[in-house]
Amino acid sequence: MPDSWQYLALMGACLLITLPLELFPGVRVWRAPRRLATALLPVIVVFVIWDLIGIAREHWTYAARYVTGLDLGPMPVEELVFFVTIPICTVLTWEAVGSILRVLRSSGGVRERMRAASRVAGVEARGEAGRGGAA
Amino acid sequence: MPEYTLMAFLSVPIVVAIDLVVLRTRLLLTVRYWLSMAIVLGFMVLVDGWLTKLSAPIVLYSEEATSGVRFPWDIPVEDFGFGISMCTLVLILWVRAAPRQPSHDVPRALHESDHLPSADRA
Repeated sequence: MPDSWQYLALMGACLLITLPLELFPGVRVWRAPRRLATALLPVIVVFVIWDLIGIAREHWTYAARYVTGLDLGPMPVEELVFFVTIPICTVLTWEAVGSILRVLRSSGGVRERMRAASRVAGVEARGEAGRGGAA
Repeated sequence: MPEYTLMAFLSVPIVVAIDLVVLRTRLLLTVRYWLSMAIVLGFMVLVDGWLTKLSAPIVLYSEEATSGVRFPWDIPVEDFGFGISMCTLVLILWVRAAPRQPSHDVPRALHESDHLPSADRA
């Protein structure tokens, strides 16, 4: 692989590694493109602006050797890819953690829910007796 | 204070205010957020560590704009402010963009995770 692809390859690896999280129960990120775009767009706008400020104010520069040389104004295209990739990986992580917590809570909560259900049933039975066939 | 240092560390309270006050998504009050961010931070160190390693850096930082504190490896600490703000903001907006729950009587603990498509179909 040429050195100039290094930054892009790193972003590709991030997407590849997080891709299986989409298969966790209840996770829909790649398959909810409109919701994903709604969440991503403002982040891209804000952080591209920050990046442009950083470049203009010379807070940072990019090693020509590790980027493709494709630029969007003063910004390497890799930066835009970064602002899309990392948020997607973050959302997938959040969804996967949610998925795991749901599984843990529902398995741990079964007994709890049965107890609650029997309490409700008990209250209803007593209620029936109290009303004594008024219905 | 160096400019990037200032911007990076101001961005965090701004995002916190968006979560708690402006949009009231209140992700910061959930266990799920802190678990997710712990995982994200772990990977942030790996990815940013690669981008900033001084032996072959992809991104080079100006000495005037940064504090010069690099940890762990060669990561400028400012990058954590930048990264945490970006990741937290996208989660706030993702949760905000969640489809509405049709039923109102689902316990909070069950539907706080946005949607349960498999449970709905079952």
